[in-house]
Amino acid sequence: MNYLSLKLNKFYSYNPRFEREKHLLVPIVLIILLFTVIAFRAPQLFSNNGIGGAIIIIAPLILAALALTPIALVGRGGVDLSVGPLIGFINVSLVSWLVGNGYTSPFLVVSYVLGAGILYQVIVAAIIIYVRVSPIIVTLSGYLVLTGVNLTIMNRPSGFSPEWMFNWGYGGEILSPIFFILSFMIIIWFLFSRTVFYQQILLTGADERMAFASGINTVATRFGAHIMAGIFAGMAAFTYTALISSGDPTQGNTYTLAAITAMVLGGTSPAGGIGGGLGSILGSINMYMISYVLATFNFGNVSGFVTQASTGVYLQFHYLLIVL
Amino acid sequence: MIDISNEIQVENISKRYGETIALNNCSIKVKQGEVHAIVGENGSGKSTLAKILSGVVLPDEGKLSIFGKTPLNPIQARKLGVEMIFQEVLVAEDLPVVDNIFAGSDGLFFRSISKNNARKKSREMLKNFTGIEINPDTLVKNLPLSVKQWIVIARSLIVSPKILILDESSASLDLDATDRLHQEIRKLRNQGCCILVVTHRIAELVRIADHATILRDGSVVGELSGNEITAKNIMGLISSKSNKIEENQKNKSNRKKIQNKIVLQGKKIIVTNGSNDFDFKLKSGEIIGVTGLDGQGQVNFINAVAGIKLPLKGDIYSGIPDSKNKIKKFSDAERNGVAYVSGDRANEGIFPNLSIFENFSLALYRIFFKQFGWIKLRPLKKAFNIEKKNLSIVMGKSSNRITSLSGGNQQKVLIGRALATKPKIIILNDPARGVDARTKRELYLQFKNFVAAGGSVIYLSSEIEEFFDFADQVIVFRDGFPFATIASENISENVILTAMFGDSDLINRDKQVDLR
Repeated sequence: MNYLSLKLNKFYSYNPRFEREKHLLVPIVLIILLFTVIAFRAPQLFSNNGIGGAIIIIAPLILAALALTPIALVGRGGVDLSVGPLIGFINVSLVSWLVGNGYTSPFLVVSYVLGAGILYQVIVAAIIIYVRVSPIIVTLSGYLVLTGVNLTIMNRPSGFSPEWMFNWGYGGEILSPIFFILSFMIIIWFLFSRTVFYQQILLTGADERMAFASGINTVATRFGAHIMAGIFAGMAAFTYTALISSGDPTQGNTYTLAAITAMVLGGTSPAGGIGGGLGSILGSINMYMISYVLATFNFGNVSGFVTQASTGVYLQFHYLLIVL
Repeated sequence: MIDISNEIQVENISKRYGETIALNNCSIKVKQGEVHAIVGENGSGKSTLAKILSGVVLPDEGKLSIFGKTPLNPIQARKLGVEMIFQEVLVAEDLPVVDNIFAGSDGLFFRSISKNNARKKSREMLKNFTGIEINPDTLVKNLPLSVKQWIVIARSLIVSPKILILDESSASLDLDATDRLHQEIRKLRNQGCCILVVTHRIAELVRIADHATILRDGSVVGELSGNEITAKNIMGLISSKSNKIEENQKNKSNRKKIQNKIVLQGKKIIVTNGSNDFDFKLKSGEIIGVTGLDGQGQVNFINAVAGIKLPLKGDIYSGIPDSKNKIKKFSDAERNGVAYVSGDRANEGIFPNLSIFENFSLALYRIFFKQFGWIKLRPLKKAFNIEKKNLSIVMGKSSNRITSLSGGNQQKVLIGRALATKPKIIILNDPARGVDARTKRELYLQFKNFVAAGGSVIYLSSEIEEFFDFADQVIVFRDGFPFATIASENISENVILTAMFGDSDLINRDKQVDLR
């Protein structure tokens, strides 16, 4: 391992641009590994049906992980714990307030999910910036508040998604509407990551004092990072609604831990400045594939626990690999 | 009063940090096209003044006008053309060089210059400043401190500032680099830029300043311009206590030398890749100075003898060279009475979130002040008070955060921590960085007392003046190797400088210099 890291350091000294993307090394190796295993154990995943279904399931996770990424990049240990309940909130409020009252126009629905996501994140950012509470505490209260609010809006899974969305959740083909939405959002992310604004997020996250002292508008940068997070959280809720075709007040919460895991697996550090969106995307795909591979073994009743445990072990292993 | 909009005007500004008064009714005027030095001891308020001018800190009272406007934050100050280079080297370690240099010069959404041009520009600037080719995509954490300092300087220069404030910016640069910085400063001045230099290095400011303001305890105590700027005049104004200490120092010159026992020695050690091996001995009661141009292996040497990073080859022994005395790891060095104090306070010294007392006691209670796993608080407090008195540390409550102290006083706390371990050997890595002249003298006195009691000191510094009347011998490093060892009676600026620059011709002519 030491030999390998020496080789890598030598490589980086000749190609310094790659050192910035060092965090992608482990997720890429893992994804190749998992693809190989799946090719042997469960080749049905690579069918039209298999990939289509995978995209439907994975879309909310990828978008949620991408929502977390700018907040982590901008630093101060920003992990948005409330992303799951936020997805849940947008889901239940969309189903019971809009669809329940007959407002189902696609334009209105998309505006609503984006607006709700952005509004929530702007409030969170304002508290973090002006009240100077640490992000993890603000988002933890957000988690608790939204969990309660969601259950007040809808006390059990019920309702319907807008009619035009009904058959999106089947996933019988690769080029489904969800596929296009996901691709569109990923393209948006990559355009975003090419901007100066993204650069300012990295600088602020890497060293806030330095950024402030060199004249970067750290307040605007932090707000901007949260607005980006709001947009992606809104779209995550949108694809999640398509996935379950109804409203569910509690299932959304699971996305908090899943998305954090995906982001960290992708090498983004909550300390700020390190990582990026591609890592979060790879991390999400890896998470899905780990559970897919494990599902091919027969663990009976405990398969869910095995999945979680192995993801956790892998998470630690991943960091060990980085340290080596 | 005719042309207010053309200069910096500071009127009756005051600033307090808790109980510490940083600035007290301070007024200064700076004209365009001049190099204006602000001098004073540590804690005299010069850094605070610089921070107020750049909008990082807001004054409690008083009026500030830069071209007729008052900046309220760094963004506004930058818009007015104010650029500041801070005492700490502020870089984002995990980001590439180019992003660090162009930090803050772009708008929120638009670049001021295309990425490729930015890369080209960074490469050019660093080549110009440091003389080495540095890939602009290199992550900053891989670069040495002196290059990081140039990155920070480059960041300020790319925007062609109208006002440039340098707060101890030459602290991590070697002599050669300081000269290059001075060239840049003169170039800017001739373009009509107004430059404020905040510095302790009096020799340096005598060379470049057109005008000097001297601060003491947050107030202006004198202004000098042109030919009046001499080291003597400045020293006279800076410190009222200086004369007394100088007298003390004279008495100390003829201190008895009780060098006998070898307390630390290296056998055939190599500290820098690709360099030759050498031997090294430290006796009790001896002060060894270590110097060299930047990056010539002197830091590796210090790390090796302190047990932080062992030599690449060869062994270090505490006392006679047998396997029992071999230093294999840091704790071996610690156990044998080696204490290490770093001048890089921010990274290797202080815990900024902890109190002064906690910072003092951290390394101590584990070994010296515990009983059955409990901390012996009372003896620890006593030790703290003794060191506080000996080192005359100026502080509010000992439970205040260490960051409430000035740099010099922080350093004193760290040295007090080292002294309280009752060490046999103290190893200092540029402890005087960013410390004012009076504190320095107080520290020298402490070390001399320490040595008189049988201790030994290894002292690394990049400022040659620090060795005068202090070190028993100076080891000058070049190419990872002790190029020359100079005995105390021969220590002079000239001799050390020639050794630093590796001019062996000159050294050979001077027979008194012991060349290995």
